[in-house]
Amino acid sequence: MNVTTNAPRLVRQALTGEVWPPVGDRHVYRTGPDGQAFALPGMGGMTLGMHCGDPATGYASDHLEPGASVRHRNPGANMALQFLTCVGNAVRVEAGPAAGTVGHVIGQHAYVLVDFGGPVGERVTTGDPVTVTAIGQGLVLPEHPAIVVKNCDPGLLARMPGGTRPDGRLEVHVTARIPAEAVGAGTGMVSEYANTDLMGAYAGLGDDLSLGLEGLRIGDLVAVADADHRFGRGYRPGFLTIGVISTGQCMLFGHGPGPSSLMSGPAEAFALVDDPDANLASWLHGDTEPVQ
Amino acid sequence: MSAAAAAVGGGLRAVAVNMLGVVEHPSLGGTPYRVDAEGRPYLPVGDGGLVLGVRLGDPVSALAGDHVAPGACLVHPDPAARLALVSYGCLGNEVEVRTGRAAGARGAVIGKRGEDGRLITGFRQEDLARMRPGDEVTVRACGQGWQPRVPPGAVAMNAGPGLLDALPVSWPGHGPMTVGVRMILPSKVAGNGIGRPAAAWDLDLQLAAGASGAGVPGVATGDGEMPGADGLLLGDLVAVTDLDARHNMGYRRGWLTVGVVVHGTSPLPGHGPGITPLLTGPVSVLSAAADATGHTGLTEWGVGLQ
Repeated sequence: MNVTTNAPRLVRQALTGEVWPPVGDRHVYRTGPDGQAFALPGMGGMTLGMHCGDPATGYASDHLEPGASVRHRNPGANMALQFLTCVGNAVRVEAGPAAGTVGHVIGQHAYVLVDFGGPVGERVTTGDPVTVTAIGQGLVLPEHPAIVVKNCDPGLLARMPGGTRPDGRLEVHVTARIPAEAVGAGTGMVSEYANTDLMGAYAGLGDDLSLGLEGLRIGDLVAVADADHRFGRGYRPGFLTIGVISTGQCMLFGHGPGPSSLMSGPAEAFALVDDPDANLASWLHGDTEPVQ
Repeated sequence: MSAAAAAVGGGLRAVAVNMLGVVEHPSLGGTPYRVDAEGRPYLPVGDGGLVLGVRLGDPVSALAGDHVAPGACLVHPDPAARLALVSYGCLGNEVEVRTGRAAGARGAVIGKRGEDGRLITGFRQEDLARMRPGDEVTVRACGQGWQPRVPPGAVAMNAGPGLLDALPVSWPGHGPMTVGVRMILPSKVAGNGIGRPAAAWDLDLQLAAGASGAGVPGVATGDGEMPGADGLLLGDLVAVTDLDARHNMGYRRGWLTVGVVVHGTSPLPGHGPGITPLLTGPVSVLSAAADATGHTGLTEWGVGLQ
């Protein structure tokens, strides 16, 4: 993205975590849109077989988290890990059969979500320790003071298309535009933590649930209408939030594929370009040098 | 969705359970501040605990507070018992203070809040003035899962037996049930509470603390109009379109959910005056009639506080 930033002033910090297990309780089931009881995998652990660019929906899954789901064992350290980690940050596996493998963060979902970009993830499992090289919080675009950027690695931003236009707007490429009606669970939470579930993408369920979002892919950049995520997440006509789809299929009602917030501001500060290639898969693993 | 499944509890008798609630003390973290939609810090006043001088019928945006509820919020020191208290307690249920200077005072459940769970109880102001955080209150919880007389396909929740009789709800026994409300809002203003279970959470309405279109104070940019909370009173009924609240709350075209306003506005993004859902169903069986000036919803008289 051709835009001036304060990237040289950002702080790089090593954080640790581990691939966190899926968790359940003895009642097993949760509740779908029509009251269906379900027990489906998706959250936690190392979820295999889907990467950025793959469909977000169409799986027998709930809160599908592609790749590794990472937390820190200490509650306070975990919040630091969740808040400070940014989309695009490099993540190195430190032990186990996949030691030395490097992946990248694709979003937050009360876990840090890591894509390994290929079959190497097959050798990663729950409990494997990882190091996150966290950088990005505090990123500012001085020529776009109305836009707040968060959760975004400056290296990722540099590889994205678009940038400052002659008219002063920030050009951002997106694959989809999301209506405000789709915004579900996650509203009211801070925008440095977890993501915003989008309703209306319950592939295979009723037409009356659909908002036409079943075609979303993991890693898609999307524009959420009437959403102000500068200091939390709320409905606000005339504002816009750019996010990256970091989670997929949901059966839990009021939930769905979710964008992690990257930028937010008044709609007139942005120039959106519809671009089917606006997906993390196009840029994510661009820094192929392993983290030392 | 079959009618039989929708009517779980239909035709069965309601069970009453005496539960213990404890008047909440507000709690804050190491920093007192929360952050509003403009990035400004504010100190949340009245977010839970015992609030004096605020009553059903007061405007939701009259106070410089955050999620202010009229009366005493009840909790329980055990987190699971606290969630059960909130899940089983229903609006209109009788409560009685057991300890402290107000022992023996009677009130009623007038709302509930989600997340960790709070049961909002109303008392006469002279009783509230003698209560303090930590006082024990017996809640005669009754009504959850039980179905009052509603059209097939509609579902009632969070309503104690008799509550709907004290509200502008009419159903002749055929056709749709009609509910009088202060306003009918689109589902896109539904905030915190979406995707959460309606039996234990309220649904915050993302309304600016002011007139419609006034937006958020201090905002110079953005060409949209934020719907306003002016004219909305604590206890009012509100309808939200395209919202199914039978289990978790979520978007479903052609549905309607009616709830009662249980707390006031909030500066927090994604939050606002909250409704506890009472009725949900397809618009073919549940309809709302808005009256911006003449509406009367849940009142102190309606729950026996006058």
